[in-house]
Amino acid sequence: MQFTKRRAMWSLAAATALAVVPALSAAQATTGVSPDKIRIGMFGPLTGPTAVGSLPLLGASAIYKSVNDRGGIHGRKIELVIEDDACDPNKAIAATKKLVSQEQVFMVHGGWCSGAVMAIKPELARTPDVPFMVLGAANSAISTPVTPNIFHPIATTATVARSMVDFALTKPGAKRVAIISHSDEWGKSHLEPALAQLKAQGLESVETVYLERGQVDATSQVLRLKAAKPDVVLAVLYPPELTIYLRDSLKYGVKAPTVTTQGVSIEDMVKRVAMPAATKELFVFYPLADTLDSPAYRKWVDLYRKYNPKDPVETLSFMGMTGALAVVEALEKAGPDLTREKFMAELNKLRNFDPGIQSGPLTFTPEQHAGISAGKVIYMSGDKPQIAAKYPASK
Amino acid sequence: MLVQLLVSGIAVGSVYALVALGMTILYRSTTVVNFCHGEFFMLGAFGVVVAQQLLGWSYGVSIVFALVLLLAVGVLTERVLIRPLRNAPFVTLAMMTVALSYLLKGVSRFFYGREVVPLPPLLAGEPIELGGAVLFAQDALIVGFTAVVVAGFFVFFQRTQLGKVIQAASQAPRGASLVGINVPLLRNAMWGVGAVMGAAAGILIAPNTLVYPDMGGHMLIRAFAAMCLGGFGSFPGAVLGGVTLGVLENLVGGFVSSALVEITAYLVIVAVLVLRPQGILGEGRSVRA
Repeated sequence: MQFTKRRAMWSLAAATALAVVPALSAAQATTGVSPDKIRIGMFGPLTGPTAVGSLPLLGASAIYKSVNDRGGIHGRKIELVIEDDACDPNKAIAATKKLVSQEQVFMVHGGWCSGAVMAIKPELARTPDVPFMVLGAANSAISTPVTPNIFHPIATTATVARSMVDFALTKPGAKRVAIISHSDEWGKSHLEPALAQLKAQGLESVETVYLERGQVDATSQVLRLKAAKPDVVLAVLYPPELTIYLRDSLKYGVKAPTVTTQGVSIEDMVKRVAMPAATKELFVFYPLADTLDSPAYRKWVDLYRKYNPKDPVETLSFMGMTGALAVVEALEKAGPDLTREKFMAELNKLRNFDPGIQSGPLTFTPEQHAGISAGKVIYMSGDKPQIAAKYPASK
Repeated sequence: MLVQLLVSGIAVGSVYALVALGMTILYRSTTVVNFCHGEFFMLGAFGVVVAQQLLGWSYGVSIVFALVLLLAVGVLTERVLIRPLRNAPFVTLAMMTVALSYLLKGVSRFFYGREVVPLPPLLAGEPIELGGAVLFAQDALIVGFTAVVVAGFFVFFQRTQLGKVIQAASQAPRGASLVGINVPLLRNAMWGVGAVMGAAAGILIAPNTLVYPDMGGHMLIRAFAAMCLGGFGSFPGAVLGGVTLGVLENLVGGFVSSALVEITAYLVIVAVLVLRPQGILGEGRSVRA
């Protein structure tokens, strides 16, 4: 009898162990997931001339921190591991390798500069089990064609370029469109769809000039544009070079309005240029649902400020938030037995996900990872930013 | 358009010339190629920003502060980092300046990593019409300042006793020491002057380009190209090379392709090293087989 009781107890213990071990081993087998934590790697330009791109990282991290304050996801808190890529492709490769191999994160959420994300794309393709959510880089080639583990929750450069052309042609009588662009991958990813969109309208760029990163003078480019007598100029430039272009345009009397990409914050640009006349006719592709001072946007502004009280609140601050919310949504739906496969499967099921932050809803399918396909432009009307779908009649 | 490209090219080229002059001073007096000169350029502009924003000083006082600050930085760099290596191989000295360059850039990134700070023009006013081209007051100031500095250097080095002593000491330091000239003191002073020249260029161009920690890197390449083109170690060569490069960049951008502007400096370096290694005004050197 004694023997039988002991045997029964051992059997019970063994059965319990057998029941528990698979659950534990499943959690242990998923890199970056422990019983109480999910490690998410992030990177962006924290330093250097494009460090304004750290704002989307701050916005996304605010979402993750707010989730932790609400108790986490299925009992797990999100632990962020943050690296600086300074928008340098080499540093982005090093940061990604460090996050994946050394820090053993569950997934990576990062990349504001397209050049940096394009540089790590081969590395991500070699590790198809590691989910990657793009932070703010917009190059269409990041998500087209689809790489199964790369998710792109912002308007791509193709969407932006087509929207810029469409907006430019709403200016009454506008037929002569000129372009000033960087010649890098990011520039080309706007330039080609913009030229295609012009061609679809039966038009060609009347002048296309290049201003490279780090140049201190845009005289020759601006004079070529002026000679072409454009009705509208499309500027595919990062903030430092756009500043130089806008100042030189004012100096040399280029009267045409400038339409530019979502890599620029209108508030930041007005401050940088510090010449109101130079930004009076500046229209920036606007990736958000509303202006930052609107009542509908208050909850996002308050959330950002709560976790980043000393940092500026600008358009870019909110560009990483939808991606972070999509990550949170997929983590919740993947359930407590989290694996990377389940997580990516849930991301691929997101349809019309619209928390009210970006210009349109987010949809991912296994065949489509460029999630947002709509946007308007923003401009300064006096001291107040205004959103517009067409060239404003008041101009 | 041609005249405008020339006028604007001379203005930008004058900044290249000032940076190249600062590097030439150091090269002539210490034979060190200073890879952190771009950071002296950047620190000059940041000196003005710091004095204005943190200390609330006026523009004029801030400029004086920045120049004095860079004089001190240059002098201290020589005394603390370069002089202990005076007998080290050339490559060691060069590596020290490379390390200092990254250090200074890193410090400024630490404090101003995300910021790109605008500075108002030093000289506001109506643009000047020049034969169909427009010269802005700020650009006129850059050209005028460069002309005054070049003239000052010419007079100093060609007409004054001290200028001649410095040149002699740089060409024959041991001989200069034997006749009682304090060569280390002269080198120390030249580091200070070189840093001030870099700072002055940074302050002059900052209202056009904005101020940010990485602003010195591209300028350093252009200064090298200017020195190569004009003749490495030649004062008039540095000025001629800088102005020529500025004009060349604009003409290439205006009449050939704007995509080539960025690589003009590199093309100049390659072309000069292949076709005329001593540059336009440099002296040919015989090389032992």
